[in-house]
Amino acid sequence: MNTSTVQIILTIIHLLFFIYAFLAIASYVILAIISAIETKQYMKKNSFVNYKEILSSTISPSISIIAPAYNESLNIIENVRSLLSSHYVNYDVIIVNDGSKDDSLEKLIAAYDLVKVNFLINQQIHTKPIRAGVFKSTNPAFEKLTVVDKENGGKADALNMGLNISNNQYVACIDVDCLLLENALQKMVKPFLEVTEEKIIATGGVIRIANSCVIKNGKLLDVNFPKKWIEKAQILEYLRAFLLGRMAWSRLNGLLVISGAFGLFDKKIAIEVGGYDTNTVGEDMEIIVRMRRHMEEINQKYRVAYIPDPLCWTEAPDNYKTFISQRNRWTRGTIETLRKHRKIGFNPKYRSLGMLSYPYWLFFERLAPVIEVIGIVYFAILIALNEVRWDYAIAFIVLAYFFTVLFSVVAIFSEELTYHQYKKKGTGFKLLQISMLEPFVLHPFILYAAIRGNIDYYFNKKKKWGEMTRKGMAKSETN
Amino acid sequence: MKSYQYIIDYFENAPTIIQLVWVTIFIFFVAVLILTIQLKFLRSRLRKNEKTVAEYRKEYESDLITYLYAGNEEEEISAEQQIIIDKLRSCTSDDFKRRIIVSTLLRLRNDISGEMAEAIQKLYFQTRLISYALPRLKSKKWYIVAKGIKELKQFQVKEVHDEIVIHVNHHKREVRNESHLYLVSLFNFEGLKFLDDLQTSLSEWDQIQLLEVLQKFDDQEIPDINPWLKSENDSVVAFALKLAKIYNQFEVKDALIGLLSHHQKKIRVDAIHVLSHLHVVEAKDILKNNFDQLSEDEQIEFFKLLENLCETSDEPFLLAHTTHQNFEIKLSALKIIKTLAVEKFKSLKYFSTDADYVKIYEFLEYK
Repeated sequence: MNTSTVQIILTIIHLLFFIYAFLAIASYVILAIISAIETKQYMKKNSFVNYKEILSSTISPSISIIAPAYNESLNIIENVRSLLSSHYVNYDVIIVNDGSKDDSLEKLIAAYDLVKVNFLINQQIHTKPIRAGVFKSTNPAFEKLTVVDKENGGKADALNMGLNISNNQYVACIDVDCLLLENALQKMVKPFLEVTEEKIIATGGVIRIANSCVIKNGKLLDVNFPKKWIEKAQILEYLRAFLLGRMAWSRLNGLLVISGAFGLFDKKIAIEVGGYDTNTVGEDMEIIVRMRRHMEEINQKYRVAYIPDPLCWTEAPDNYKTFISQRNRWTRGTIETLRKHRKIGFNPKYRSLGMLSYPYWLFFERLAPVIEVIGIVYFAILIALNEVRWDYAIAFIVLAYFFTVLFSVVAIFSEELTYHQYKKKGTGFKLLQISMLEPFVLHPFILYAAIRGNIDYYFNKKKKWGEMTRKGMAKSETN
Repeated sequence: MKSYQYIIDYFENAPTIIQLVWVTIFIFFVAVLILTIQLKFLRSRLRKNEKTVAEYRKEYESDLITYLYAGNEEEEISAEQQIIIDKLRSCTSDDFKRRIIVSTLLRLRNDISGEMAEAIQKLYFQTRLISYALPRLKSKKWYIVAKGIKELKQFQVKEVHDEIVIHVNHHKREVRNESHLYLVSLFNFEGLKFLDDLQTSLSEWDQIQLLEVLQKFDDQEIPDINPWLKSENDSVVAFALKLAKIYNQFEVKDALIGLLSHHQKKIRVDAIHVLSHLHVVEAKDILKNNFDQLSEDEQIEFFKLLENLCETSDEPFLLAHTTHQNFEIKLSALKIIKTLAVEKFKSLKYFSTDADYVKIYEFLEYK
């Protein structure tokens, strides 16, 4: 190859990088604008809703909260108490003890006066067998509680057991350590009941980080801003993702994922598609894609709804090791889901799912870390070859940095205008501070975890879920 | 000064794209700066607002309580009450204060009843708050109209019925919903007349809200729901079915039976459910004779009906369905047989080797 050919190739590479970065930024801006419009609409509409009426109505639809638990002995009693304290009238709680090796079951039996019952299960989805049995409480105060003890099969398998056990119309699949606000169920079920022109197949809620918040008897008493950088940065990251991203995807009916921590599903459709996939670590994303694909294939109008209210609070990783393990899993889950459903991608038969959501996820979620690393390596090579045009490089790096900061500040602004959860004096400054530092204290680790996820996906197939050591939200301290 | 000049020179001599990038950076920087300052003010304002609202609320609550206890039998309005009316009236011109007054009035009214509640209602007129709510009905903005209707509903202003009834088919769901709630909250079952002219869909959420309002009334004289059961608006039919069930409207059984051939499956299933609830025996034979033409959901619902209305003569039919492919139907069939004839049930232990059948049988055997 002569010099001019190399020059042309390099120019094309530069152009591709530029186009990619431009499209990514443009998509973020567009999504943020749509989110802002949609959130404003939501707030306006929501101001007319009286949730108390649906709350006490005996004809409100029935919901089962399904919470899988694996070695959650430390907090299981408080967590179940929190799930049982919903103000919704027509619901039950199914705890699936997924082969825990600790004393979770014994603790539950003792705390909630559980006894083994003869329970008929319609095994519509195959799962690992029951171990100790199905338990119900002899205490009428806990009549809503069912505990199933089964052999270990993973989170997806445990959720499938819950789907088999539930007799209700809707299922709320949640992480057992999540703290649900008392009005969470009625807010989540609303879209299923109010939309008449299309079928709502699932609703997703915002997940908020509970680290450092004060929680007592399963209730959130005080919202605090944590002290660790990693926790602060995740709060900002969640604000950005939920307030400036998902709301827009909901408007575009393009949501591909509902957080595994809290989602409400139409049980019939979830079972029709075969329940959760036990062969992926991204079962929360996979089931949504499969349900959407199913609806497209049977040609029925549908929607995946999203509620921006802070309804579910959860513990986020407070150390980099756990954080990387979590993000590694998320990356593998995304790759597995997109690969499994590659038929959808760029397929006009699947309309916006195939032509908008799938390509976006492929390019700006799945491939983003890979492209970023390629960019870094390429940049390093250019430095080594002394081929860097530093005036260009510095200008674009500063631009990227300021865009990130601006985007974060807009997310904080949006939070203040809507839910204003971090009310304490000084927290505004801390949020701004972390928006300046987040590109350094969080992003490199996200990138590292994503690359590890890619490597593990292709070269370490045996890797499944990572362990997350729970500190326990009940012990969270005041700032 | 020299370095400042260097930057200017660098910028002027830089390629256009770099100039553009630096301009964009500058814009982003200024935007961050402005938002940061605004954020500071916004947070302070929100905190201050919360404090001010709490203060005003406390003040108005105290005024309202004084107003309630300051009345005497000789005068319609006592001097002390008049002072409070004048004070509140002077505050209503301020949007912020008016909102607090209205919410305080409502909060208080929800906590009390009888004459006291009526006095609060009266105060709503005396303070001329109504004169702010009425023009809202003519606003071009949907949420202002909806807010107006909501307020008039909460203060039970019946006089604006005609202005509100025109919104029952409003293009915005929230306005429609508020107008429906207004009519039902203030005119009880009479208010349901809007169903006759409803062209839009009444969602499940709307239906639940309306039913909750209706259930609050002691006077339970139900109008004839036959026309609604025959409505061309499917959501009206669905709502009428709920009314039929909740208020045990046995007299509409013919219309309910007619709905077994409705074009929408959900209506047919709901109709079976209501017929079962009302124990309409005639429905059983119609459905039984037509069983194979029913959808699976209808078949399941029919078996639930059979659980209420089965007779010994149904045994062959039930027996034939103990091996049905659907789990729930199998369960229902075996459960009913056990209730009807225990001996027959016992003889069915080895009737089928199907795993589900065996599981259901064993479950029922030990139940």
